[in-house]
Amino acid sequence: MTFRQFAYRNVMRNSRSYAAFFMASIFSVMVFFLYSMLLFHPSIEGRFLQEVAIMGMGGAELILYIFTVFFLFYSLRAFLQARSKEFGILLHLGMEKRQLNRLIFLETMIIGMVSIAAGTVLGYMFSKFFFMIVREIVLLPALPLYLSWEPFALTIGAFLSLFGIISYVAPVFIRTGEVAELIQGEAGNHEAHGYSKSRGYLGLLFLGLAYAMAAASGNVVIIRLLFLLPPLATIGTFYFFNDSLPMLLQTIRNRKRLYWHHFWLLSISEGVVRLRENARMFFIVTLVSTIAFMSVGILASLTSFASQYREMHPLGLVYKSEPENELERQHIGQLVEELNVQKIDFSLIRFHVLQQTSSFTQNRVAILKQSNVDMLAHSFGYPELELDPGEAIFLPPSASSYDQLKDQTVRTQLVESDVHIRITGAYPYHLFTSYSIGTNAIILNNNDYDKVLESVYTKNLPSFTYYAFNVPEWQSTKEIGRSIDATVTETFLTSDAEPLPYTFENPGLNYSVIRTTFSLLLFIGLLLAAVFFLAAGSFIYFRLYTSLERDRKQFDVLRRMGLTDREFKKIVNRQLIPQFFFPWGVALVHSSFAFLTLQVIWDALAEISIVKELTLVLAGFTVMQICYFYLIRWRYLAHIKATG
Amino acid sequence: MTRKTIVELTEVTKIYEGKVMHRALNRLDFEVEEGEFVAVMGPSGSGKTTLLNLISTIAVPTYGRLMIDGIEPEALKQNDLALFRRRNLGFVFQDINLLQMLTVEENLVLPLTLDGLPVKEMEKRVAELTERLDLQDILNRRPDELSGGQAQRTAIGRALIHKPKIILADEPTGNLDSKSARDVLELLSQINQIEKTTVIMVTHDPIAASYCDRVMFIKDGEFFNEIYKDERRQTFFQRILNVLSLLGGNVNDLSTVRLP
Repeated sequence: MTFRQFAYRNVMRNSRSYAAFFMASIFSVMVFFLYSMLLFHPSIEGRFLQEVAIMGMGGAELILYIFTVFFLFYSLRAFLQARSKEFGILLHLGMEKRQLNRLIFLETMIIGMVSIAAGTVLGYMFSKFFFMIVREIVLLPALPLYLSWEPFALTIGAFLSLFGIISYVAPVFIRTGEVAELIQGEAGNHEAHGYSKSRGYLGLLFLGLAYAMAAASGNVVIIRLLFLLPPLATIGTFYFFNDSLPMLLQTIRNRKRLYWHHFWLLSISEGVVRLRENARMFFIVTLVSTIAFMSVGILASLTSFASQYREMHPLGLVYKSEPENELERQHIGQLVEELNVQKIDFSLIRFHVLQQTSSFTQNRVAILKQSNVDMLAHSFGYPELELDPGEAIFLPPSASSYDQLKDQTVRTQLVESDVHIRITGAYPYHLFTSYSIGTNAIILNNNDYDKVLESVYTKNLPSFTYYAFNVPEWQSTKEIGRSIDATVTETFLTSDAEPLPYTFENPGLNYSVIRTTFSLLLFIGLLLAAVFFLAAGSFIYFRLYTSLERDRKQFDVLRRMGLTDREFKKIVNRQLIPQFFFPWGVALVHSSFAFLTLQVIWDALAEISIVKELTLVLAGFTVMQICYFYLIRWRYLAHIKATG
Repeated sequence: MTRKTIVELTEVTKIYEGKVMHRALNRLDFEVEEGEFVAVMGPSGSGKTTLLNLISTIAVPTYGRLMIDGIEPEALKQNDLALFRRRNLGFVFQDINLLQMLTVEENLVLPLTLDGLPVKEMEKRVAELTERLDLQDILNRRPDELSGGQAQRTAIGRALIHKPKIILADEPTGNLDSKSARDVLELLSQINQIEKTTVIMVTHDPIAASYCDRVMFIKDGEFFNEIYKDERRQTFFQRILNVLSLLGGNVNDLSTVRLP
């Protein structure tokens, strides 16, 4: 048996304990590879959407890579520490330290190589499927499978270097001071875990504070302190697992009536030990899960933002032209022709919007004509307005401003034209976004509007011409007026360019961009979250596996003592469930509070509720976790009973 | 004085199936009376531990009949067997097997908590036991803070707390120094005499065996010899040694001989 064979056999025969680790690293390689496949796809070039895709994929790859570094680092250390007894024997038999390092290096590289190979192959196998999903989302005509060296080179290069570095550094983790100490292994490592009461209370205090702040983030003062939240919650979580929880468990232990009750004795004491061993792991799992929840939740809420887009943009295309715009006719002609060519039904309404200053607020106010609004309303089937001379009504830019304005009455004078009006209530239907008309708009009755129009002509005040294309199939317009949109976007992006005398709004196009961007990011995020998820599970699985020997012995004692199978299952449940669901639960609570804050921010931005998406995301994760729990419990019970 | 038979094995054979079939016990007859202190001796691989596992009801004989306290373990369901063990048997192991995460006191009450006794009752029993086993000062220590003797005394306490009818001891002195070993043996024989608890002990150690009423020797899974104690432990010990040399076991098996 050569040295290399020895290393190889070590890995193969330990494969059971490596299983979850393998699974997690293979999956992470696979996802990385899939991202790179898209990154280097030949038919993705140039277009704005693809830039988003590439940025998303690139970012996700970076996050994945950094996460994998930590994951490997942590897992490998745990592996090596669990095998310290074996290393002790090898050293005892006269293996040189140098050889031992080489052994570890070889073993790690074998694991790495197998993971990389399996991950890449699996990745290539699934890339067609992956492309299909991405194509659906990005709405590309075709995204064919291709074979090129770049994604392979990137993936293999990245992970090979990663494993190389890790396996080179890994031997540092085993303390090879005293051989005898190593041989004793984990068993000798049982010093009582001290927890500090002050830190325990501090942890609870920090968490409570962070939660309170998150819950009260509507408050202006607290919004400013929001940046304090993440560090506060992080430190709080760390102390919580390290000190607060042991403290709480100790109080239970001091109450015999509670503690000496059926399985509590075993479950709680076992819980204390697990907590002591795994406090740090729980902390990491909690953070990772929180981040995963949050990112998926945020992305999901963005998707919901997109789905409410239509309500915010009831009109189809809106072209706004300033008086000096020479391209007006040409553009409108182009739009109409494009719509006709694509056989899209539409009704075109042309109207003017005037600008005046209100004496009441001293602000600019946009003025629409009652008959024009009625025309628009007619195409939606809304009832006509009834306005007497001297009367006006607010045109609210959003639903919440409607709530504010609907009971208000304002008497004001339009300064330039000297028209006195009374503005009562608000127009109940949503027609325009604030972007197209402005936030301060009123609808004026026809008589007064004509008076204002006169003054506009005589005093040469600005007035805008609007062309509203009401398109029932609004999503189909995304190819209409692309050239106009491109010019508008370009001018908008180059800051020093002359502002154009016209604007063009195409909700169909905007919606498709927003929707695909968010869905793509969500998809990327979900894949990342899945990697995190597997990694967190693999930590737990591995911890269970290393304590299997001890647990088996304990099970044997208990069985002789007369523990029935059902009782045993109950005890195992009580030991496993906290490990699985406690960090998870804390992460759930964390992210729920984080979303409370987020909801406040969202409210300010877009007035959408993210509760539905969040419940869906959190429920989905919980179901996955329950499945994972049953899978691992099944394996654990099988192992523990195997040689009972 | 006729005493009730509490353990009765009739022509018991135990075969382990596997890649290599192994006959651990072969047509063994064995009886233990209530209140007896019996040692089972034999070289490595003679089937001592198998015998103990059968009496522990965690293994069933391949052939033959086994009766413990009037019941036949084979006839009971797994669940009832567990309950039977919980109430009637107490175990002492060579490697002690205290649960590491529990304190001495918690280890003691463990069997009782499984049965859901009231806390008062548990505390009462712990108080009784600790006095007898001299555990008062170490009740709140953890197993890894105990000496070998203290740990084994705790384990004996755990085996006794539910007042079992039979105590099964597997090399209880195997990992102890001679002083602690003597303490443990004296404790066991004291319990045997005062409480009339039946004790069945598997051992390699002729000194340990010399504390018993009777020693049964087995070899290769079969009955070999049986001797009863006499007036003096010294001579009993000598006779045990004689049988062991006849038994011709491994030299290593005798290496633990220590003269008192």
